Amino acid sequence: MQVIDSILRHQFYSPDRTAFSENDTNVSYRSFFVHAERIRNVLLHHGVKPGDSVALLLPRGISAACCIYGTLFAGACYVPMDIQNPVSRLSYIIGDVQPHCVIGDGERPDWCSASVAWIDINDPAFFKDEPQDDVDVIYRSGAEDIAAILYTSGSTGNPKGVSISCRAIDAFVDWSSTTFGITANDRIAALAPFHFDLSLFDLFTGIHCGAHTCFVPQSLTLSPARLVAWLEDSAITSWYTVPSILGFLAMRGGLAPGRLPEMKRILFAGEVFPLPGLVKLANALPDVALYNLFGPTETNVCTYWPVERTRLGALETIPIGGVACKAGLMVNDEGELLVKGPCVMSGYWQDGDIRTAQEQWYHTGDRVAYNDRGELLYLGRMDRMIKSSGYRIEPAEIEAVINRFEPIQGSVVIGERDPISGQRLVAAVVASDSLALNELRIHLKQNLAPYMQPYRIVQLDALPLLTNGKVDYQAVAEMI
Amino acid sequence: MNDELKSFIFRELVHLPDATLFSDDDDLLEAGLDSMGIMRLVLFIEEKFGVTLPDEEIEPDNIQTLNRISSWIERHR
Repeated sequence: MQVIDSILRHQFYSPDRTAFSENDTNVSYRSFFVHAERIRNVLLHHGVKPGDSVALLLPRGISAACCIYGTLFAGACYVPMDIQNPVSRLSYIIGDVQPHCVIGDGERPDWCSASVAWIDINDPAFFKDEPQDDVDVIYRSGAEDIAAILYTSGSTGNPKGVSISCRAIDAFVDWSSTTFGITANDRIAALAPFHFDLSLFDLFTGIHCGAHTCFVPQSLTLSPARLVAWLEDSAITSWYTVPSILGFLAMRGGLAPGRLPEMKRILFAGEVFPLPGLVKLANALPDVALYNLFGPTETNVCTYWPVERTRLGALETIPIGGVACKAGLMVNDEGELLVKGPCVMSGYWQDGDIRTAQEQWYHTGDRVAYNDRGELLYLGRMDRMIKSSGYRIEPAEIEAVINRFEPIQGSVVIGERDPISGQRLVAAVVASDSLALNELRIHLKQNLAPYMQPYRIVQLDALPLLTNGKVDYQAVAEMI
Repeated sequence: MNDELKSFIFRELVHLPDATLFSDDDDLLEAGLDSMGIMRLVLFIEEKFGVTLPDEEIEPDNIQTLNRISSWIERHR
């Protein structure tokens, strides 16, 4: 991986430059590298071998970033897990990944199978001060070796792991650093959780360029004015985030011309940016370049559109633009976007290995069309996938959990249009008996991530069916 | 606290069908109120109560519990 060559170079030639910061802690390239090496050594001590996977159950931050680099130094791939996920989802993912070990904070939790090694991040071995001259023992991964597995919502009712190769990360790092002109003088704000593909920019592009990446304190996402002040105080130049956060800042963050004087570029992806919020952002920050990036986790970024402010007034929805990351794009007869190229995933991970290898063209399930300028427009989904606040949600995953609850006989989850988060989840349920809504809510909280909780649950007498016996989703949407 | 506001918070933001499970001092942020929920809450309060909540006051301290939300609104009546 070229980013590993980059960090080796930076820690040697500019050891004292800051690589990451978090709250009041700054970590130089040299000390970040040394710490990652220690983690690598601990992993090797636990028997981690090239090709193994290491699951991370840690909050976003310097320690987790260090574990990611340590894992890659060992030739293994990292599997970031969402600590906000309920236990049932975490243990499903562990069972599916079959990692060599899990790095967590504290004692092994009860749900984590004893067959998987548990490493506590507070293990004194991580902090042992020993000479680290054995730089050459860093394992050289091949381009097709898997670097990361990112779990996303699955249409089968279970989360599914997207395997991302070293080649795919390198291609994204190359494209993003040159397209946006990231240099060692940049300061990058990192807010995306590591199980989100947006984090690849924060973890790898900045380090490749020798830039300084600053982790945004999580609590600031709840106070827009303080987040803007933090971005200013931290002299952030570059930020890759989701439209819902940017919309929140544009509406209530006190943004205006003159604010964020250091900011050069803001990239966003994960959902369609509603135009009123984008116009407000574009007007408030006239000197900041804005970019709409597009692509499912399986392809990472496959198209992008540099926002043209002068056109915003005349648009109904913003284009997703043209080719990114050297992707090959094709629109088939049904209007579905197909993608091939260096950033496309290697396949889906299942039961400890890549079980469904990716064919040449990845079918995104996104309906697109070209406008008269040759830019792609996103029209919607071919299937029922829902995008909400940047999260991708398969209704089937929620329905499967609802249907396990007595006395539910059937359910349909639908995305209701919402100006704030894009779509909100509504569940229509059919129950044979009187339904204890409180208990259903508790059941959902125990089994689904917070962003998968329906905000409304509507009880129907029966699900409307089409003549072929399948559920009529259109009709359900009209009934709720 | 205004019943309409209370039921809005539980129905739409923290996904509990029954507000009686919750005391006025329980932590709404722990219960699942997130940044998008806060945005909805602020817009709802401004519309229903005809108040303007200053941007710089949108923060956890004013939103954490039902009691804090009440006194935040009162300060701007």
